[in-house]
Amino acid sequence: MMMPKKVKYRKQQRGRMTGKAWRGSSISFGEFGLKAMECGWVTDRQIEAARVAMTRSIKRGGKVWIRLFPDKPITKKPAETRMGKGKGAPEQWVAVIRPGKILFEMEGVDRATAGAAMRLAAHKLAIRTKFIGRDDAE
Amino acid sequence: MSREITVAAEVRASRGKNEAHRTRSAGQIPAVVYGAFKDPVSIAVNPREINRIIRSATGYNTIFDLAIAGGETTPVMVVDQQVDPVKGHLLHADFKRIDLTKRIRISVPVSTTGEAQGVKVQGGLLEVITRAIEIECLPDEIPEGFTVDVTELMIGQAKRASDVALSGSMKLISSPDTVIAHSVALRAEEVVAPVEGAVVVTPEAGAVAAEPEVIKKGKKDEEAPAEEKGKKK
Repeated sequence: MMMPKKVKYRKQQRGRMTGKAWRGSSISFGEFGLKAMECGWVTDRQIEAARVAMTRSIKRGGKVWIRLFPDKPITKKPAETRMGKGKGAPEQWVAVIRPGKILFEMEGVDRATAGAAMRLAAHKLAIRTKFIGRDDAE
Repeated sequence: MSREITVAAEVRASRGKNEAHRTRSAGQIPAVVYGAFKDPVSIAVNPREINRIIRSATGYNTIFDLAIAGGETTPVMVVDQQVDPVKGHLLHADFKRIDLTKRIRISVPVSTTGEAQGVKVQGGLLEVITRAIEIECLPDEIPEGFTVDVTELMIGQAKRASDVALSGSMKLISSPDTVIAHSVALRAEEVVAPVEGAVVVTPEAGAVAAEPEVIKKGKKDEEAPAEEKGKKK
């Protein structure tokens, strides 16, 4: 699973997800990409599941770029615990996604193969996404 | 390159995001034209015409006439644009006045043709590294794009910017060593073979992963003696 090597603080507050992804919103490396159409949290497990689905789908050939990184710790209190006594323990890591963010990129495969792989990856995520190509007229 | 396109523009007297919103809701987008040692002018243009130019074969390197109502008509090029990250609408455009007698530096797209031998025979992957190179030429000589034939590329070989065939008085500005595309061997995904007798631990849902190192605050060496002093008191 993806997670930071070093952090300044173990726990974070939840924060807000307003606005659009003005950075990282265009295809930079590959030929095709998967773009987020709404805001949300994408967990480390979802990223890993999407990566595995994509790499298995394209079999041999093709290269995949992961354009998101889960750098936000999410805490959870144990089950059947009374409220209070401090914040829970870090449970998972998430990437905060704003609409327009390119999540994954792909190169070395044709459009149909890339589309099928990205569709599988999109099913692993909890946010609405859209498959786009570098030359697509927007 | 022909200059058959003329885009009509209006001068914008007002500034600010509220006025920009009003301009966009009226079916136009705010834009600015500058360059050629003249003052910049804030204008409003029709985004459909600009989109058509950007999506044309010559793309951003299209030189067209900008006719400002009650002002100058000058040859310009789109040098920058702002696009909505979700909808892809054009939000703002920058135009640069072009002196047709002077050489200009532009970025020209480079595409690849053919199937590399490294992919076809050796089962590798063709990776396109650079999709545009910078050249210097006269505005009349701007090419639509360059094509590099990658058919002969075996694994470990690359086509570089110096391999692009330039014509006329074109001069390569990008580094000649810039890799356009190269053929690389596929890296197989690492699969850990199960060892006999080994216990396979699968992470349960909700299991806590190893936590990352927390960067400690302050200087360790200086704090330690201070704490000792406090204890003595």
